[in-house]
Amino acid sequence: MITILLWTLQLFLLPMIAPLMLGIIRKMKAVLQNRAGAGIFQPYKDIWKLLHKDEIISTDASWLFRAAPYIVFAVTLAAAAGIPTFAAFLSNKFTGDLLALVYLLAIGTFFLALAGMDAGSSFGGFGSSREMTVAALAEGGLIFSLFALAVIAKTTNLFSIAAAISLNGHSFFLPIFIAFTGFLIVLLAETARFPFDNPATHLELTMIHEAMILEYSGKKLALMEWASANKLAIFIALGSSLFFPWGIAISPSMGAIAFGLGIFALKILVFCAAIAALESSIAKFRFFRLPDLLLTSFILGIIAIGMVIM
Amino acid sequence: MTHAIPQKLKKYLPENFHFDPSENTATFEVPIDTIVATIKEMYADEALSLKIITATDERNESGYFKIWYVFGAPKENIFLVPFICVKNADEFPSVSPFIHEAWNYERKIKTFFGLDPAGHPKKEAMILHENWPRGVFPLRNDFNWQTRPAIARERYDFQKVAGEGIYEISVGPIHAGIIEPGHFRFSVAGEEIVLLEPRLGYTHKGSVKLFGILPLEGKLRLSEKISGDSSFSHSLAFSQAIERLAGIDVPERARYLRTVYAELERLANHFGDIGAIMLDTGFNFGGAHGARLREMIMQINERTTGSRFLRGVNTIGGVTKDIAMGTKQRLIGELDAIIKDFSEVIAVAEQSSSLINRLKETGVTPYDEAKNHGVIGVAGKAVGINKDARIDYPYAAYDRLIPKIPLYQSGDVYARFHVRIEEAYASHRLITEALKKIPDGTAAAAIDKINLKKDATAVGIVEGWRGDIVYFITTGPRGEISGVDVRDPSFLNWTILGYAGQGNMVPDFPLINKSFNLSYTGNDL
Repeated sequence: MITILLWTLQLFLLPMIAPLMLGIIRKMKAVLQNRAGAGIFQPYKDIWKLLHKDEIISTDASWLFRAAPYIVFAVTLAAAAGIPTFAAFLSNKFTGDLLALVYLLAIGTFFLALAGMDAGSSFGGFGSSREMTVAALAEGGLIFSLFALAVIAKTTNLFSIAAAISLNGHSFFLPIFIAFTGFLIVLLAETARFPFDNPATHLELTMIHEAMILEYSGKKLALMEWASANKLAIFIALGSSLFFPWGIAISPSMGAIAFGLGIFALKILVFCAAIAALESSIAKFRFFRLPDLLLTSFILGIIAIGMVIM
Repeated sequence: MTHAIPQKLKKYLPENFHFDPSENTATFEVPIDTIVATIKEMYADEALSLKIITATDERNESGYFKIWYVFGAPKENIFLVPFICVKNADEFPSVSPFIHEAWNYERKIKTFFGLDPAGHPKKEAMILHENWPRGVFPLRNDFNWQTRPAIARERYDFQKVAGEGIYEISVGPIHAGIIEPGHFRFSVAGEEIVLLEPRLGYTHKGSVKLFGILPLEGKLRLSEKISGDSSFSHSLAFSQAIERLAGIDVPERARYLRTVYAELERLANHFGDIGAIMLDTGFNFGGAHGARLREMIMQINERTTGSRFLRGVNTIGGVTKDIAMGTKQRLIGELDAIIKDFSEVIAVAEQSSSLINRLKETGVTPYDEAKNHGVIGVAGKAVGINKDARIDYPYAAYDRLIPKIPLYQSGDVYARFHVRIEEAYASHRLITEALKKIPDGTAAAAIDKINLKKDATAVGIVEGWRGDIVYFITTGPRGEISGVDVRDPSFLNWTILGYAGQGNMVPDFPLINKSFNLSYTGNDL
């Protein structure tokens, strides 16, 4: 019984709390900017509202446009199920692999970009073009920063990595820290946050992620919004459970699990606060400066691996 | 205030020209076949500056159209206005082949009066769109303002850029933010803007025609709505022209009050723009504070005048709202606190390398293009065009309260950002000085009846926060207003936006556009 409960929690925790993370970031940003801001549960209300709305689909759109939200959303569900959150002993051997995760996310990006172009609006087109530029450059940084951990743990299973790092990570403090810096850059790029993209902008011409989903409305938009919240949750969970797994439950005791859940919530708050502070204190970068940043992330990943192997 | 025509400008006037020193315009007819040479010579003269070209339909009175070329003489505060009479013809010689700045004025005359500028390189209608029938000219006297012409279905072709990998992005007229409507057509290679063609006219509402219909009080109120964010400056320019025609002396106290209100309007809008520029780079800190500072000024406006946009404040002969002694001290204190607050925000902004990186070298306007297009105001000062109506044609109390004019050479977003910052500081100094020196007296001249001079003209010019606003008013034989034309600075500055966008990346365009922050309604009228 407990096992079933734990597994349910493991599989659906991230999608359930993903909108909350968005709500928390927005609230923190509002406070940092002297605004009252909406409540932290607003993203749930938005999704609920959108799910009850009719939608308009361009007559130029093909089946791809209709199918993409389901694919993109499903991919984030599958990916989220395989991320260690509060317990490292619940090893999901099916999707909980480093490479499987990276390429699951790539499938989502691929369909998102196709859907952006499908409706034939110029905004969707340049949104997709920009997204692919960023995604192609971010992939290297993502793989290499995670590989640094895999080399330390001598496995590509994410749960085993979390367990291994929490046991002997302290002796690899520097490479983990360097790999994390690289990962953080990718996190911001992949989740369409500053300095890559401005999730709060209304300026169509500056958008990346938002430009791709500009043609969506109603239920499909709800799925797209939820999927992008899931992606944020996935990256935050990866960052907190793989790079800083301390406190994660390694044995199935009630105490360890409760502690694991609590510490996971705390880590999420720290990540949200960091993103909110970043977005309130710097300007977005010029588009052509972004590749430099992503290249830096790639190099950091390689340095971290080098330090582990040497 | 009386004027005299300086010796160096007398050569343009006909012999034995009699100048009425109570007027600020010297109008004289030029034969139609020598007008191009005359205008070319006057335009080339450093001591003159072209302010507006407009037409009036006087066929009922005298049987012809008049086309007026209004030149200002900076420092002298007078206007030389040569005009031509177009009799039994529907064309007049164009000066546009020699004076680029005249380009759109002449197109406008063609569109609204149906007079063809012969020799003009591009005579297509402007402001009125392809749904407006050809051959219907709304500013002619025989066009009833209530007429609803049939919908025409003409074509409009944007400029085409051909070549591999070029694609077009069409943006607007409806935008995602709460801004005015305007269409932008980008031809793009990758992310680089190869060509940007703005298309305006979506907010055309026949304001100039309406000036001919409304009673005087209504005209004044209409002037406040030409561009809502410049309500005070527009109505001030209109009032000044009428006061000139009616020979009304504005009391000293009213002149100081007008200065205070005009600078409050500038301060509010500059704060808003400075914040909005930062917000468009994603620098949320600056965006939030800009909006907050603007709001503080708007609340001061509301408290002192009852209107956040200073509407209903100007009246012919002065202002309707005085500032009491007690409020004065409080206002000075509040503004000191606000400007200190502002300087702290700017200090943080200047420390942000990510912000400065976005602003510098973005949206550069080349000096020569700016000069040829007659760019003025903030955009002009950012490339080193030193024109400011407060200095050049002193009005209100600006002959005693001299603003400091910031000048930059780089012409990028950063320069426009900084012109605004320095003008905000200068506005604060002017307001404080005006409030300290304000003399006692009445806030408006006592007027029983407004009698305008017959067959006369007057120019009202005010440096709004975007640049100089010009009203040109003519009266007929019975002293009635026969023509009102208005030129918002946006009308000139819109022409340079395409050049400022060229070569930049698409995602930087909203920032470039914001750094100009031009009025759509002021252009479309």
